[in-house]
This record gives sequence, C-alpha cells and structure tokens, in this order.
Amino acid sequence: MSSSPGWLTDERESALLAGMLAPSSPVPLEALAAESKAITLRRFGRTISLYAPLYLSNHCSSGCAYCGFASDRKTIRRRLEPDEIERELLAMKKLGISDILLLTGERTKAADFDYLRRSVELAARRMQRVSVEAFPMSVAEYRTLAECGCTGITIYQETYNRDRYEALHRWGPKKDFVDRLETPARALEGGIKTVGLGALLGLSEPLEDALMLYRHVRHLSRTYWRAGISVSFPRMRPQTGGYEPPFPVDDHLLARMIFAFRIALPDVELVLSTRESAAYRDGMAGLGITRMSIASRTTVGGYDDTGRTDKGQFDVSDDRTAKEFCAALRERNIEPVFKNWEPVFNGPSDVQGTTMKPEEVHICH
Amino acid sequence: MDLLQLGNYSFTSRLILGTGKFSNSKVMLEAVRSSGTQLVTVALRRFNREQLEDDLFGPLRELPGITLMPNTSGASTASEAVRAAHISRELSGSPFIKVEIHPNPQHLMPDPIETFEAARILAKEGFLVMPYIAADPVLAKRLEDVGCTSVMPLGSAIGSGQGLATAEMLNIIIRESGIPVIVDAGLRSPSEAAAAMEMGCGAVLVNSAVAVAGDPPAMAEAFAGAVIAGRQAFRAGLMQKSGAAVATSPLTSFLGAKA
Repeated sequence: MSSSPGWLTDERESALLAGMLAPSSPVPLEALAAESKAITLRRFGRTISLYAPLYLSNHCSSGCAYCGFASDRKTIRRRLEPDEIERELLAMKKLGISDILLLTGERTKAADFDYLRRSVELAARRMQRVSVEAFPMSVAEYRTLAECGCTGITIYQETYNRDRYEALHRWGPKKDFVDRLETPARALEGGIKTVGLGALLGLSEPLEDALMLYRHVRHLSRTYWRAGISVSFPRMRPQTGGYEPPFPVDDHLLARMIFAFRIALPDVELVLSTRESAAYRDGMAGLGITRMSIASRTTVGGYDDTGRTDKGQFDVSDDRTAKEFCAALRERNIEPVFKNWEPVFNGPSDVQGTTMKPEEVHICH
Repeated sequence: MDLLQLGNYSFTSRLILGTGKFSNSKVMLEAVRSSGTQLVTVALRRFNREQLEDDLFGPLRELPGITLMPNTSGASTASEAVRAAHISRELSGSPFIKVEIHPNPQHLMPDPIETFEAARILAKEGFLVMPYIAADPVLAKRLEDVGCTSVMPLGSAIGSGQGLATAEMLNIIIRESGIPVIVDAGLRSPSEAAAAMEMGCGAVLVNSAVAVAGDPPAMAEAFAGAVIAGRQAFRAGLMQKSGAAVATSPLTSFLGAKA
C-alpha cells in the first residue's frame, strides 16, 4: 500500500486556516463573515454562477457505506440512453441551464469510459460548459474527455482521514485512498482546466478534513499553476441506505469553514449545492459562495420526466425551481449568471505552456 | 479638442467601463449612462443568445453613443484568444478587442507571452488591439511595435482595489509609450483614477469599483468627474515637486573657486 504524501500533513501550510477554524478561535464568526463578504464582492462582484447536475447512471461498483448508490443497495439500476440524455438536455435548457455537471457512480460495465465520453460529446453539443463527476480515470482518458469538451472534473476525497476512508469504502475501486487523492492531479495532467475538490462533511472529524482539503488545494495550485480549482462543502443529509453521519456539522461550523476558506483562498470558486436549505443558500450568496447548483434532480435523469418518484443519491433540501431561486438571488441584489463560459475556450489546457506554433498561426488567418 | 484617439476612433470620454460583476443589467446600464462613457468592455463568455435576461451584449448594443470592446476573458492561450476575437467581432461588429489571457482562471494575471502572440496576430488582421498586461515597460513597447492600438497595464491585481500599486512602472510605460496607456484593474476610488490621469494615462478602465459600490450609477458619475479633473490637471501641467532640500553648506561652492 502506498504511503500518504508529505504535503497532506504539512501543518505550516494550513496555519492561517487552522487559526480561523479552531474551536478556541478568538475571531468572531461575524468578523469572518464581513471579511469574507468584502473579498467575495471585490473579486467576484454581485454575481453567482449557476450549474445543474445530471445523473447519467446509478450503476456502481463500490461499497461506500454512506451512499445511496452503493452496489449493495436494492435501488433500481438504470442509465440514460443517448436519446434520453438528449431529452434531458433539452428540458434543462428550457430552464435556462447552460452549465452542466454529468454524474455517474464508480466505473461499471453499464457506465464505463466510452459511455461517459459519448455522454460528454452529447452534452457539449447542447451546453456551453460541461463538467464531470464520475470515477477516477487515467491521464489519457482525461485528455480524451477534455478534447470532447469537458472542462471540469469534480472528485471529492470524501474524507482525508485515511483510517476513516478505508473503513467507509468497504469494497470496490474507490477503496484505494492514495489513488483517489492523486486523481485531481491526473485530470490536470490530462488537460482538464478546473478540478473541484471537497470533503463530504459528516464522515469524519470536520476540522481535520478542512485543513487537509486546504493543503490539497495548495498542493495542486503550486504544482499545476494553470489549474482552476473549486472547493465544495457538501454536508451529509439523510439518504437512501439510512446512513447517519457520525460527525454532524452544524450551520455555524459550516459557515465558519466557508468564510475561512474564502479568506485563505480569495480567488478560488466556492460551491454550495441544493443539499443545503433555501434559507442557508440565500444567506450564503454573496458572503463567500460564488457558484451554486439550481433546480437539481439527484435521480437518474429527472428533468424531462419530473413526475417520477424514485430515490436519488441524496435528498435535495432546496427544491425551488430555477425561476424561484433566481428571484430570491435578485431580491438580494445578486445576479444569477447562467452563462459564464464560451465553448471556444474548450479543449485541453496546454499544461506545458507554449506559445502558438507556426501552423496554428496559419490556421488563424 | 482633447480627444482620446484609438485607431480611427476618437472619444471625448476617457473613462472605460467594465460590465461584469453588477447585480443586474439594469443597474449596469444606468451606471454606463451616468458615467458618460463611450467605450465599454464586455466578455464574450457573458454573451447569451439563448437567455436574454442573462445576456450582457444585447442591452449594451441598444445604447446610443456606446462603442463595444469585447474581451477574451476565459482564454488561456493565444489561439483561444484569437478564435474568441473572431467570434466577438462577428457578434458585436466592433473592431476593438481587449486581449485578456489568463493562464490561471483564479489569479486573473495576464500571460505576457500568450498575450503578445495573440496581439501580434490580431493587429495584423486589422483589429484595434487593446492588450491587458502586467505593468511591464518592455512588454508595452513590444506590443506597440506589433501594432497594438493601446496598452492596458494593471494598476494592481483585478478586483484587489489596491489602486496604483504599480505606479513606478506605469510612469515608465507612460513616459516611453507612443500609444495611449489605459490603466486597467485595481482602482478602488475616484481619487486613484484622477491620480492615474494626472500621471498622463490616456484613459482608465473601471469595473469592480463601480459594480460593487453602494450606488453604482452615482459611483460611475464620481469616477467620470475624477477622470476629467485628472486629465485637466495633466494638461495644465502640475507644479514640480521640489527636489532634495538645499544643503546649508552648498555642495557646489567649489565651482569657479580660485585655484
């Protein structure tokens, strides 16, 4: 078994964050909120960029103790076929969505790399920006996805505590802690422009996870200086399988984490999904969070046929429509931004950093 | 008349406005109007053909007396920026292109190498190229040499509100430049915009400072006034700052002394 990398435990790296997060921290939450708000306004303005998830498949080969899609659950397994994906995309576009996150479970025969690649191609034809939250891949596979129009990869470590990680991931390819940890770096090597990191809050001691997550961000920023990095704060909610999070994170601690990350990482995109309530999301808009999901379905598909009642990966807490959510943001003097990308910028990022080659110059004329 | 000359376009206003970061496009349009600006920049990635409420291009195009300067924000390489410039020209009909190339979408620092390459190609193609750069005097001259219409060095990091942190380098760029120098990014207050104009900048570009102000249209007007005052002061000729204090025992008393 490979050992954990040294950067993961470098306490000097995260000293600033640790000071803001410590239970004994003398910095009042209100002061952190004010500083976080000021930084967010200066850097991102009065806007929130929006995306929506599309679950392509709930087939899964892993045994994550906390997940509704784990391979031992009795959930009905299905995947979207190309014609269904097309219908879902059109239904999402009707809501105004142009920035999409495609999701699958861990790699299976039913939802393998080729299936994912074809789905990315379909989505890239309809949407302005396509990201993927699926299974760990090879550098070559990431490069193929980037060439097909995928600009972002979300891959949560779930927990950075190795013992907890190995206990929670009971079987399957996801059991390898270090392989999971190195996946964002492989995505960036493959030319993916942005990686999304996060810890699933509730699985393990939250302060420890927050500090290691921060070190992960810093490590990737230093190593891949062209990389865009976003950080999410998914908090465990009741779900299929009935898993009770052993380290629940309350509203105040989550807020402290978001503010502290904004202050320590002023330029990084911070994401909050519909796992959180309407009131919490509205309150956080403009205080540090810069990107939110909207009108989310966590079932396979679900936009084209919203009458279905099968269980999703987790229960959505903020179930407002796109229209309602946008109205709430506008009420707070914040602009919901549906399109903040242009497909002309798609394609693998040039990780080597070269100027244009003569043949490219020729193409441009 | 004191006009800002950019290619074959001339402007009476020397304030350029950025259009992102506003709470809604109504406020943005009001700010544009009250600033008296004649040139605004808008990101290609914020052009939304499918959802008009989200779109920044459409409403700006309707404003009388406004020239659009699309920008390539989102591009990380020269080839992406060149392609974005082509699309932007098609959509906006404007010959201006603000070349903005950030290798890292987070720091928003301009990549000098890719920017130079894109600017060279686009200038050759006939665009009025306005490259956003770090305050680097040599790069500014190189860009002038390849036919850029202006250079747009940053006063300080985008959205930092640190003002003219690069003043020393800006002074060199302005002194040496044969094309208008437009300070872009980092300005927080009208007094900083006035200071930039007093230094001899051709214009200033402001976005965050207006967009996130308590009252954006009022702040836009304040910037407009400051830019006019700063320009007038520059043209009037500022009083010299005195040099070193005069020593009580003159240093040059030996000159002309008898041997």
